[in-house]
Amino acid sequence: MHDELETEAIWRFAGYGFLLLVTMFMLIPIYWLLVASTLPESAIIASAGSGLPRLIPGTHLLENARALAARPDVDFYLSILNSVLIAVVYTGLALIFCSMAGFAFAKYDFRFKEPLFLGILATLIIPINLLVVPLFLLVSNIGLANSYWAVILPWAAYPIGIFFMRQSMQSIPDSLLEAARMDGASEFQLYYRVALPTMKSSMAALAVILFLFQWNLFLWPLVVLQQEKFTIPVAITKIMGQEQIAYDQLLIAAVLAIVPMFVVFLVLQRHFVRGILAGAVKE
Amino acid sequence: MTKISINNLVKTFEASDQRDADGEIVAVDDIDLEIADGEFIVLVGPSGCGKSTTLRCIAGLDNATQGEIRFDGEIVNDSRPRDRDVAMVFQNYALYPHMTVEGNMGFGLKLSSTLSSAEIDARVTEAAETMGIDGLLTKKPGELSGGQQQRVALGRSIVREPGVFLMDEPLSNLDAKLRAEMRTEIQALQNDLGVTTIYVTHDQTEAMAMGDRIAVLDGGVLQQVDVPEQLYRNPVNEFVADFIGSPSINLLDVAVDGKRLTGPGGFTHEYTGHEVGDRSRVRLGIRPEDLAIDERGDELTVSVVEKMGNENFIYGHLGDREIVARTDASVRPDPGDTVGLSFTNEALYLFDAQSGRSLETKTDNVSATQTQF
Repeated sequence: MHDELETEAIWRFAGYGFLLLVTMFMLIPIYWLLVASTLPESAIIASAGSGLPRLIPGTHLLENARALAARPDVDFYLSILNSVLIAVVYTGLALIFCSMAGFAFAKYDFRFKEPLFLGILATLIIPINLLVVPLFLLVSNIGLANSYWAVILPWAAYPIGIFFMRQSMQSIPDSLLEAARMDGASEFQLYYRVALPTMKSSMAALAVILFLFQWNLFLWPLVVLQQEKFTIPVAITKIMGQEQIAYDQLLIAAVLAIVPMFVVFLVLQRHFVRGILAGAVKE
Repeated sequence: MTKISINNLVKTFEASDQRDADGEIVAVDDIDLEIADGEFIVLVGPSGCGKSTTLRCIAGLDNATQGEIRFDGEIVNDSRPRDRDVAMVFQNYALYPHMTVEGNMGFGLKLSSTLSSAEIDARVTEAAETMGIDGLLTKKPGELSGGQQQRVALGRSIVREPGVFLMDEPLSNLDAKLRAEMRTEIQALQNDLGVTTIYVTHDQTEAMAMGDRIAVLDGGVLQQVDVPEQLYRNPVNEFVADFIGSPSINLLDVAVDGKRLTGPGGFTHEYTGHEVGDRSRVRLGIRPEDLAIDERGDELTVSVVEKMGNENFIYGHLGDREIVARTDASVRPDPGDTVGLSFTNEALYLFDAQSGRSLETKTDNVSATQTQF
């Protein structure tokens, strides 16, 4: 009996130890990024070259940030604004489209429902690189080239989002929608006043996925946007693109690129955990 | 207040298995039913008998394949649920999880009435008081017990003051004690409001206790509609006789030889006054409470005795048929004992062996001749 407890304690200790190790392994590069952004370029290069990386922050943060702002070729701070604007509008729009499509696929019966859904999923096979040229022709013919809409619209109905919302919406009990129908709700009210509010946590999770997708999109914005509309990933490559890489500016740019994503995650994170459907129906 | 007529209602579903020859499942098969204004009618039957489908057709959640549904003479087949002036209580309550109790109860009024929000609040408060949930108005469904959720679901349906209440097994998720309480409460509520109510259940006790009239369904076909006592005493067929009553009626296959019925385990009975025509076999039915146990006899070997406190259920086998007798609590044989069985001639039910149609049902006006076997 005593031995059993001891073995269990050792296993638990080993388990948590392993998890701690993995967590540190994941976090150390990010931590080093934060540290390095506060060092002058010479110290960064020195730290990266010699054995152990430096883990104590320096005092050069503001200088690095100023140097980034002073660059004549890239307006990085404008690109943050561009990225935030595009990602926020995109996320909002895509949430509407994905949840509507997901609701229809999950809760209605219509002709060709299955083939349509498979068709939407099948588009995932096509890589973005393959779409760049036809999409560029399409967008420039419409007259949207070098506009925010050129980046926002093409993936506004995001297949992964539609799939995700369909899976989530299937958990809404039919009787809940029927109760609303009996209460006199129109089909749109079913979606807007019953389905959406019960799907808050799924919507929050999807919002993170969509925001991240748009935030990291690189090739398409590079092709379709001009200088003053660059998003962060494009702007960062411009920093790296010159004959000499300014590591101090690059690293502070990388830190600034993480911050909005981090904020989005923090704000929406508590919704993941909350099971909003609890107590809806008795199974 | 609404009078409902259902004529030749048929509802078929496409079979999900497409290899099926005609690819159709008949859920409701040609049902005719007249429901009077203010009546409490119970649709009862085993699962899959079509009772819920019938209710959903009346609600407008499913479309009838054939036939007509009329509310006060007007055909409502094509009108939407919201236009039928009906309220429904679901088995799983279907409360909106993101709304408070107040929001749940007021949702229908907000969407479909022209009342001001002050009037809606007044109606909600009044209904909540009726249901005894006025203290819970600001809570969310997830914070309530099953019984409270059930009351909210009922409150949500009465607040709209509809012409018809539809209830789809509303009590089946409650524990036995609460179920019995809510049973009387729903009856009292329906009596007060006088609203036509259609109540679906698979529980015959619930049906017998609550219904003004009961419609028994099986396999999508309406078997019999009548007041509870008539269903019990004069079932039209073996199915109804078997379904109504707890414990179920004892059924024996017996051979007809002149005036003598011979059954399993050496059972014989001299029958009088029953017309079985030229049938050589019939099915004999006898209710458990009509079987008298004689502890000195030796026809039945007792297998189980269930002591209920006020009465005992005594189980045993006649041939391969299980027999149950419902006796006074003072009759208490031990398992393994042999006992005698007797019943009066007028307690007898006889059914056609093939069709199950009733040939003879319980009568009171026949002289009480005790029959021994």
